[in-house]
Amino acid sequence: MITHELIERIEGEARIDFQCDRHGGVEDAIIRFEHFRGMERVLEGRDPLDALVITPRVCGICGHSHLMAAVRALESGLRNAGVCVELSSKAVALRALTLASELLQNHIKWVYLVLGYQCAKMEGKGAISPLRGLEIASKANTLSALFSGQWPHSSYALPGGVTCDPTRLEIIHAHRLLDEIERFAHTQLWNGEVEHFGCEDLSLYSGDVGTMIGVLERLELSNKGIAHGRYLVAGEDGFSASGWYEKGERRCVDSALIQEDDRHTFMRGGKTYAKNALYDGEFCETGPLARAIVSNRSGIENLIRDYGEGVLSRVGARLGEIGVLIREIRHRLDTIDLAEPSYISPQRAGSYEGIGIVEAPRGSLIHKVRVREGKIERYEIITPTQWNLGIGSAATPSVAQQAMRGSQSISHAELIFRTFDVCSVCTTH
Amino acid sequence: MNSVVRIVWICGITCNGNTHSFLNHPALEYLLAKIHFIHHPVLPSPLSLQEVVSTLPESDILIFEGAYRPDFERAGMAMEDLFTGLADKTGMIIALGSCASFGGMMKQCRPEEISGIAFDRETPTPLLKRYREKMVVLSGCPIHPEWLAFVLQMAANGTPMPLDTWYRPQALYAYLVHQGCLRGEYFEWKVDAHDFGRKEGCLFYVQGCQGPMTHASCNKILWNTVSSKTRAGMPCIGCTEPTFPKERLFSTQTYMSIPAEMPLGIPKRSYLALAGAAKSFRIKRLEERMMDDHA
Repeated sequence: MITHELIERIEGEARIDFQCDRHGGVEDAIIRFEHFRGMERVLEGRDPLDALVITPRVCGICGHSHLMAAVRALESGLRNAGVCVELSSKAVALRALTLASELLQNHIKWVYLVLGYQCAKMEGKGAISPLRGLEIASKANTLSALFSGQWPHSSYALPGGVTCDPTRLEIIHAHRLLDEIERFAHTQLWNGEVEHFGCEDLSLYSGDVGTMIGVLERLELSNKGIAHGRYLVAGEDGFSASGWYEKGERRCVDSALIQEDDRHTFMRGGKTYAKNALYDGEFCETGPLARAIVSNRSGIENLIRDYGEGVLSRVGARLGEIGVLIREIRHRLDTIDLAEPSYISPQRAGSYEGIGIVEAPRGSLIHKVRVREGKIERYEIITPTQWNLGIGSAATPSVAQQAMRGSQSISHAELIFRTFDVCSVCTTH
Repeated sequence: MNSVVRIVWICGITCNGNTHSFLNHPALEYLLAKIHFIHHPVLPSPLSLQEVVSTLPESDILIFEGAYRPDFERAGMAMEDLFTGLADKTGMIIALGSCASFGGMMKQCRPEEISGIAFDRETPTPLLKRYREKMVVLSGCPIHPEWLAFVLQMAANGTPMPLDTWYRPQALYAYLVHQGCLRGEYFEWKVDAHDFGRKEGCLFYVQGCQGPMTHASCNKILWNTVSSKTRAGMPCIGCTEPTFPKERLFSTQTYMSIPAEMPLGIPKRSYLALAGAAKSFRIKRLEERMMDDHA
């Protein structure tokens, strides 16, 4: 029997066609994102720098990651054309800390708006109020805005650096905000040391996260939702190393092996569906679990030992990353040298091709640009959701499709789907 | 209006940037005690989108975020039917963000088919003609959370809001981004920013800043309560205006080395006379760095 479900509250919607057995168990789940928008085509013919304004507007929750991917794509293109693009360590630090702030707010929002809401719904109880979480997420955005001017939709990074020129005033203010965020994580989010999250039995945590983990355990979802066990971290950022991983084997990432695949992408009734992203011809999971495994973060071994590469490991990796991001921001604030230039103007180049890869909240985000005679000729965006939530087939299921197979019910499969932190708008750029 | 304002928030073709900008409001808890979201795209609310589509509930305010295309579907219903079905049963319509206001960024994707709900660039839409009495436009990409909070509280109090020609509340859009810019003195004395990445210098002459032509209170009501684009050294990109997004956003178009577009309402002759006078002086203080590197 096939049931069509509309999945909401994922920065838009997705449709999943569930194929169930007579007990309601999920045999297969085909994911469809509608609402193709065509943002890449908007860039064609424009000045390359316009990509810094247009691409953040692909997504309201991870636009800053798009800005970073765009600026890296342009810088890589200029370098490929033989231009020396110099970045001061101050510019590198500022970009790193505003990017980390975006991931931080995303993960906190996910806990309260997605996980908390869904857990309560499945148990038929009232949800924990998201307000305190949203207040803290907004502090992470304020932290970013001290340097980027605003969140969302800043375009403060340009090839050669950043536009801002902060003083100690902004640094001190940022420290204060970060302390508040850390205290929140420590006392309310999981009630334990931020440093050591995931290194011990997750059921020891109280706090809001403890409540949610309790629900997942009671529903026997902790070790469900295992995907292919194949992971990709294409970006190299301060909080995460790049790499490919499967069953104990690690490889360096070759960006030439990243491809978009439209074999299963189709038009039906005038609707275009999102393309799949593949690495070396295969679906790979990307995002916090991939980052934790590839970087071998502390605690991840324990999570996988206890729960396999399933729901609680995926959720735990995202939560643990909150601590990693807090440490990353603190490190950048502590070591920044304000005397350095923010921006070093690079030479211009007429024609070039470049690629920019960023670890965005949901995983590897890739921008590719081709510029001819000073104008963008072609622009391509591959988003994390295209990696995780592709449209597979019976023989080669996508990551989330594989994870949902064998769920005892549609509502369990839906929760597994949401552990990937789905973003509809990014997918349908 | 009722003591608690009932709101349906729906999305057209959007990035959800206005949704997330609003979540930044520092007094969200206070606001949520005064308003009730019957449906919201991410906040907990009693009706799902599917239920909104099947019941088309009555509301006090309909918030529409994103651009409009009549046959664009949400939860299986064409936007034309969803929007008019909800708009007929609401007291006020807020076109939230530049996409909903004028078409904005999302209009660029399919310019011939996509518009705002209020305007198609500068032309009033049939929807504006039909719902003129109810329409409030909040342009911006994204909107500032305080702008929306202001309109919601004014509506909750039943206080009338004088609007400008684009149906935007004058209290928010009478200011130009230029007003309150920390670089104002450099503009007065025609000292340009030699490059990006410095506190000093005006971004209007070379870097493409549209602050003197853009209606928005970004430098009065600061972003995330602390900053703005121009304070972070980024040129204003004119995101609240019907012409957003223009092209070549990081460079000033010039005509015989004079900015092609004048500050709003300033005749070119007046501008040239003042610019000529200001440029004839070299003011040492404005040419120097403002403070030590480590300050």
